Amino acid sequence: MSRYFDIDDIIMEDEHSAVFFKVGANGVGLLDPSAETNRVEQGSRVELPFWLANELYLRQAVSVNVPPCFNLKTRREIQADAACVDLRSRCPYFYELGCKVAPLIGDRTIGSFLLYAFMNRFKDILSKAHSAAFAVAPRFLPLLTKEEMQLYEAACSSMTGFKKWRVGGSRFEKASILGKKKRSSE
Amino acid sequence: MYGRRASQLLKELSTSEPGQLTSFNTDVFDQVLKECNAHHLELQSLMRKIQEEELDVQTTRNAEHFGAVIHHLSLMRNKRCLMAYMYNRAEIIQSLRWKLGPVLPQEIQEKLNFSEEEYFKNYSAALESYASELELDLTVDMVPPKDPYIKVRVLDDIGDVLLSDQSPNLARHSIHFLKRTDAEQFISQGLMEELLG
Repeated sequence: MSRYFDIDDIIMEDEHSAVFFKVGANGVGLLDPSAETNRVEQGSRVELPFWLANELYLRQAVSVNVPPCFNLKTRREIQADAACVDLRSRCPYFYELGCKVAPLIGDRTIGSFLLYAFMNRFKDILSKAHSAAFAVAPRFLPLLTKEEMQLYEAACSSMTGFKKWRVGGSRFEKASILGKKKRSSE
Repeated sequence: MYGRRASQLLKELSTSEPGQLTSFNTDVFDQVLKECNAHHLELQSLMRKIQEEELDVQTTRNAEHFGAVIHHLSLMRNKRCLMAYMYNRAEIIQSLRWKLGPVLPQEIQEKLNFSEEEYFKNYSAALESYASELELDLTVDMVPPKDPYIKVRVLDDIGDVLLSDQSPNLARHSIHFLKRTDAEQFISQGLMEELLG
C-alpha cells in the first residue's frame, strides 16, 4: 500500500507478459484480439499487463509465462558482458519486474540472475558516474534501466555537490521552476 | 487494452522533469473517467447475469465471474492511476508554495486545473495561519545562514519596498546590503541575485 502512489511502480506493472487462461471469461473480448465473440476462451494465450496477470494468477485463473526480457538470450548476454547489455530496450524496469514476477512463474534461477546482473552493472555505473566528464552525456546511458539511471544521477549529483562545496559558492538559488521560462522569453 | 490510457497519464508525469509542472491533461483524464464508467456498467451487467441464473454471487466461479473480476481489476487500476496523477501533482504544487510564495506566476497558474488552484490556496492559507501562530515565517532560511546580511544585485525594477529594517529603492542593477530573510524571497522569485566575494 505504501507504493500506491508511486509512479514508477505503476508504470512498471504495465509491462506485458503472455498468460495462459485456465478458465473462460465473458465480456472481456478486448483482451484477446483473435476472439470472435466478446469472451476469452479457456486455454487461450493472451498478452496481459502485469497488474492484471498478477491478480488473475492469485485467483488461479491464469498461469504466467516468463516475460521475454528474462529469456535465455538475455541471460547469455548478461553472462558474457553485463555492462554492455541494453536492458532499457528490453524492459526499463528490469529488476523490479523480475522481483515481482519471480514468485509467479516458479523459476528459482531468476533471483540469482538478477543479483548477478545488478552487481556487475552497478560497479561499472558507479565508477563511470564518478569519473565521467559532466558536459557530455556518456554513450552508455541509453543502456541503463530506470533504476540504474537514478543511481547514476544520484552519483553524479553527489559528485557535483562535493565539487561545489569545495569551491564554495552561492547558497541561494532561484527556484528551479522559474529558470527555464525566463530564458525562453528573452 | 484496459488501463492503457491511464498509464499514459503517468508516463507523461514521469517523463517531465522532476519538480516541474505540466498542464493538467483534462482530455486524457476525462477519457479515463469514461473508461471507468464503462467498466462499471460491464461489471453490473455480468453480475446481473450471474443473479439471473440464480447462482450465488459469492461462490460462483464461472466465465461471468472472471469477466467481472477483470472489469473490477481494470476499474481499480484506472482509479489507482488517476489518484497517483493527482497526488503527485499535489506534491509539486505544495512544493511551489515553499519555493515561490503565496502568489503563483501566471504561466504556472495556467497549468493548474480548478481544484488544484483551490488546493494551492487552501494549503497556502493553512501554512500561513500556522506560521502566524508560531510568529515565524517558515519558508525563509531554508539554507542555514552564515551571516544575517548579504550583498545582492537587483535584476528587475522592484521599486520602493518596506523591509524589516530599511526601505530601500530597489531599482534595476542597484546593489544592496540586505537582511537575508528579506532577500531570500526576491532571490527565489528570480528578481535578485546574491553577490559573492
